[in-house]
Amino acid sequence: MFATRALRQAAQAAERTPLIRFIGKHQIPSKVDHTPQPHPASPTGALPGNSHSTFSSYRDHAQQHGPLRKTIDTGRIGSQPGAKLGPVAAPKGMYFDRSELPVRFRRAPIEMSEIEAVESGGAALFG
Amino acid sequence: MLSSRLLPRSAVRARSAFRPSTLPAIVRTYASSSEEKDLVIIGGGVAGYVAAIKAGQEGMKVTCIEKRGMLGGTCLNVGCIPSKSLLNNSHLYHQILHDTKNRGIEVGDVKLNLKEMMKAKDTSVTGLTKGIEFLFKKNGVEYIKGTGTFASENEIKVALNEGGETSVKGKNILIATGSEATPFPGLEIDEKRVITSTGALALEKVPESMVVIGGGIIGLEMGSVWSRLGAKVTVVEFLNQIGGPGMDAEIAKSAQKLLKKQGMEFKLGTKVNSGDNSGDKIKLEVDSSKGGKPETLEADVVLVAIGRRPYTAGLGLENIGLEVDDRGRVVIDSEYRTKAAHIRCIGDCTFGPMLAHKAEEEAVAAVEYIKKGYGHVNYGVIPSVMYTHPEVAWVGQNEQELKSQNIPYKVGTFPFSANSRAKTNLDTEGMVKMLADPETDRLLGCHIIGPNAGEMIAEATLALEYGASTEDIARTCHAHPTLAEAFKEAAMATYSKAIHF
Repeated sequence: MFATRALRQAAQAAERTPLIRFIGKHQIPSKVDHTPQPHPASPTGALPGNSHSTFSSYRDHAQQHGPLRKTIDTGRIGSQPGAKLGPVAAPKGMYFDRSELPVRFRRAPIEMSEIEAVESGGAALFG
Repeated sequence: MLSSRLLPRSAVRARSAFRPSTLPAIVRTYASSSEEKDLVIIGGGVAGYVAAIKAGQEGMKVTCIEKRGMLGGTCLNVGCIPSKSLLNNSHLYHQILHDTKNRGIEVGDVKLNLKEMMKAKDTSVTGLTKGIEFLFKKNGVEYIKGTGTFASENEIKVALNEGGETSVKGKNILIATGSEATPFPGLEIDEKRVITSTGALALEKVPESMVVIGGGIIGLEMGSVWSRLGAKVTVVEFLNQIGGPGMDAEIAKSAQKLLKKQGMEFKLGTKVNSGDNSGDKIKLEVDSSKGGKPETLEADVVLVAIGRRPYTAGLGLENIGLEVDDRGRVVIDSEYRTKAAHIRCIGDCTFGPMLAHKAEEEAVAAVEYIKKGYGHVNYGVIPSVMYTHPEVAWVGQNEQELKSQNIPYKVGTFPFSANSRAKTNLDTEGMVKMLADPETDRLLGCHIIGPNAGEMIAEATLALEYGASTEDIARTCHAHPTLAEAFKEAAMATYSKAIHF
C-alpha cells in the first residue's frame, strides 16, 4: 500500500509545476508612476502635505487660540437639535399667546380719548 | 523662485557666522557649505548607516550625521545586539546550572561573574560599531558626530559633539532618527531602579525581584535574562496574550507556558495604575484591566517595556513645516518622500513595525528610489523573532488575523518532539505551525516556537516572498538530521500528511 502511494506521489511529482517560477533578472519597469501614493504601512492612508484624511483628524490638529475643544459640552445651547425640544403646537386647552385666546379673554382695545386722557394727566377730560 | 533666492542668502549667513568661531582647522573641513552633497543622512542607526553605505556604493557623495558618538543606533548600542549577547550567555549559565546532569556532564561550583558577562557584551558591541566606521571609510561616507537640525529645506545645521557648529547642504536629505522607549506616566525613569531596556542591559547586580511592565518581545527577552541570572521576574501585561499583537495566539500560549516553567510569573489582563519609588522597594498598584481586583506589587527593579515612540525631538521639523501624525511618526508616501520631495524618512521614526531589518530594507529602497527611481520593500513579509528560550519567530499572517478577515486557511503543525535533531539536542519543546490557502496551498503565514526558530524563519520568509506553496516547501530536499526538517514536515502536514508524526 505504501509502495503504491509512493509511486502515485512520484508520478504526481513528475507532472507537478511548482507555484514558484523563475522570472529572470530583475529589471526596472520602463514606466514608473511617481505620483505620491500612501505608504503601505500607513494606518490612515494619509499623504504628506495632506495628512488629514478626515475632518475630525484635521480638527485634532487645528489651533485657534490654542487647541480646539475636543467635545462640545452637552446640556447647553446648541447641544440639541430644535426638533428634540418638542412639538410647535400648544397642548389642548393651552395657548402660547393671549391673542390666541377667545375674544372675551383678550385685552380691550384702547380708545384715542383714553390715550389722550392718560397723556395729559386727565386734563383732556375737561377740555 | 522665492526659495532659490533665499538659499544662497542663508548660506552666506551661515558662513559669516562661522568665520569668527575658534574651531580648529580640521573641523573646518567638515563645513561643506560650498559643496552640496548628494545625500545627507540624519541618524547613524541601522536605517541611516545602511543608507549611507548603499549610497556610497552607488557613487553618491554622502554625509551621515550621528550624535551618539557611536554608529549603529539603538540596535547595536542598546538594543538587539547587546541583548542577544546577554541572552546567549545567560542561557549558557542557566543551562550549565540546570541542564547538565542528564547530558552526562558533571559541573562543580558554577558562579556568575556579571562584570565579565557585561564586558563580553561590550566587546561584541564595540567590535560591530567599529566595523561600521570602517565600512564608512571604505565606501567614502563622510561621518559627522553631532546633532543635526533643519535650518532650511536643503541645509542641516550640526552642533558638533566636540563643540562648535557646522552646516551641511544636500540635494537629498534622509531622516533616520529612530525611536526611544515610551516612558510610563507617573514613574520617573532613572535607569537604576526604574529602567527601560537600556538600563536592563547595564544593571550592576542581579536584582532580587523585578517587575516587567509590558509583555511584548523586549519585556520578555530582558525578563528572561534576569530571570535566568536569578531574579524573581513578574511580567504585567494589559492584554490577555504575551508577545504583542503579531504573535499567533496558540504560539503565545505555549511560549507563556514554557517561560513560566523557567520561573517567570505572568499577570495578564492586568493594568498598572500607579507606581511609587520613594521606598526601599518600588511599589506598583495594579488592577485587572476590567477593574475590581486591585493589588500591590513590590520589586527592586521595574522594567518599563510598554513600547517605543518615534524620536524627532530637536530635529527642527517645524522649521520646514514637515508634519508628524498623532503618534509622532513622520508622514511619508510610498517612496518615503515627505511633503518636500527631496526629504525622505525611513526607519522607526515613520510608519511600519519598529524593527531593525525593516529599517535596513527601507534604507536600501530609499537610496534606490533616489538613484534609480525604483525600490522594493514588501511590508507583508517582515519576520519577527523573540530570542527567548525557546525562540519564537513568525512571518506573514497569524490565525486570528485570517479569522477576523474571513480568509479561508488550513493549518499544518509539526512538533519538535518528533524531530530527530531536537531529540539528540535534548531540546524538544515547541512546534512549527503553517497556515496556507486551502485551494492553492499558497503559504499565508508561518509561526515557529522552538530551538533555532529565529534562523528557520528565514526559509518561511523566502517562501512567502516568492509566493511558494506548502507543497513547494515539502518537495524541497532538507538535510537530515536538522531542525529544518521540522519545517519541511510542517509543510507536508499542511498540504497532505507529515511522515514522522
